[in-house]
Amino acid sequence: MTARLTPLVLSALTVGAWGLVLGVLSGRAELVVVVLPLLFGLLRIGGTGASRGWSLARVLSAPRVFEGERVTVTVTVSAGHRVPLLELFEPLPPTLRLVSGHNRGLFTLRPGRSVEWRYEVECVRRGRVNLGTVHARLWDRAGLEAAETSVRLPGQLSVYPRPLPLRRLPGPRRMQAFVGNYVAPSLGEGLEPGDIRAFVPGDRVRHVNWRASLRFGQLFVTQYHQERNADVVLMLDTLAEAGAAPDTTLDASIRAAAALATGYLARKDRVGLLEYCGPFRWVRPSSGRAHHERLFEALLRADVMFSYVTQEVALVPRRVLPPQALVVAISPLIDPRFEKALVDLAGRGFDLVVLSPSPIVLARRATRPSARADLACRLWALERRARADALERLGITIVDWDPAEPLEAALSGSSASRRRGAVR
Amino acid sequence: MRRLAAVLSVVLVGYPLLVVSSTAVLALGAAALSLCALGILVAPPVLVGGMVLALGEYTLALWLADGPPRLAGAALLGVVLVLLLETADFGRRAHRATIGPGLFAAQLRSWAVVAALTGMGAWAAGAGASVASAAVRLPWAPAIAAAGVAVTLVAVALALSVRRLPPRD
Repeated sequence: MTARLTPLVLSALTVGAWGLVLGVLSGRAELVVVVLPLLFGLLRIGGTGASRGWSLARVLSAPRVFEGERVTVTVTVSAGHRVPLLELFEPLPPTLRLVSGHNRGLFTLRPGRSVEWRYEVECVRRGRVNLGTVHARLWDRAGLEAAETSVRLPGQLSVYPRPLPLRRLPGPRRMQAFVGNYVAPSLGEGLEPGDIRAFVPGDRVRHVNWRASLRFGQLFVTQYHQERNADVVLMLDTLAEAGAAPDTTLDASIRAAAALATGYLARKDRVGLLEYCGPFRWVRPSSGRAHHERLFEALLRADVMFSYVTQEVALVPRRVLPPQALVVAISPLIDPRFEKALVDLAGRGFDLVVLSPSPIVLARRATRPSARADLACRLWALERRARADALERLGITIVDWDPAEPLEAALSGSSASRRRGAVR
Repeated sequence: MRRLAAVLSVVLVGYPLLVVSSTAVLALGAAALSLCALGILVAPPVLVGGMVLALGEYTLALWLADGPPRLAGAALLGVVLVLLLETADFGRRAHRATIGPGLFAAQLRSWAVVAALTGMGAWAAGAGASVASAAVRLPWAPAIAAAGVAVTLVAVALALSVRRLPPRD
């Protein structure tokens, strides 16, 4: 830690020199006396020990939070020696917003004493945030000299995407072999009554349908639909984004993915994640709470990265993209490479739903309103509609979602169209 | 802390008006006060400009009054200069910052000690110089004073630039 003189010394010298010059020019002794305290004050330079006799410790109120939640940062400053004036500054990353207190503090400490400094931040955007370095400046009491240093402290904060409220989810058309919450067309053990057939030896007595048996004079049993789960693969488009952080199309997509993952896992489905950023990155479908955390960790890392590499869907292993899976693709449909991947998936017979957060609303919010911007947005909307129609002609369900509106409302419209599609 | 600096700048600008009340001094004082206020709020160099102007106002007041030397008042004004510089600087640092317990009290104690010591030192030096000047009559007094000022300033500048602070860590 090296001490240096501050601009205050230059200020004092300037005023002092001017006073002396005026004194000589006017021949008045008072002007010399006026500047003497300034010059005497400069004698304090080097008088204070700027040694590193202090230490810092930082504690976060929660190491893992969701977007929009608040975290209290507590920094404890302890002193071994006397500290005349210690200035601490913690630069905040753009994903955090100060809501109470200050991220800069000034302290004085006696030997053996400690001081707690608290401030509260709001996590505005998902991501792994490292509060990391605290910049410290040790001043003398007068502010004539200062020594600077930086202290690295552990302060890792994981900000998970905020799941949007969601009750209805796009239902899968095909089920898997494991027990779940969907009523399967196949008959077997279950709760939902299906067909009635004549009793055969080996049938359980509690399945006997007494009303039908009495009416026809012979024994009939009720059959039940099996309750099965499904494989759901969330396919996230990280090729491009539109809008300004923290409300880009990718942010909206990730919030939707978090909500869908939470919803499907709550229904005992196996959920996987496929991130398409040119090459593929994936999390294999699975279920359970540990897998929920695994998915959220993957969503935390998801970001737009430019890549010249473009992989084909055929390269994704079957374990990651099971043939019977419902694929929910979340994309603003900006990059044609993603549309090509969608066409490829539809061609391979996957049950496919495309949830498309509208980039137009978000881009418009980020730009200055003008007649040109209005016209551009209208043209963009037309082009987008044409692209969506082309995909719908291939049998792909497109759910257009304005991120300012609830996701639930957008998805409820899709359920009806998928049912109609199923009837056809 | 900015309020304290504002009060000190009012004292700095108001004292010359006590020496002599004239329109010219008042005009210079008003300009100095506005610069000081702006400097306290915005940037230290502007404050230094205001202080320079206030010294000009004081010089004008002394020149217009043309009375015997007022050393005690001058020492007091010098202390105000020191405190104004330091409080404005501290106020700038403390703006939008969490202030630790006991910091203001410690800072005020430090300023009180500095004010007492530098004020008494300046007054004693002034009084000593008055006594010496009554006893010794130097020829070419203005030239000697100018040389003394130049030597003082060069010495201070050299002392500050040559001073090698030991590396601390």
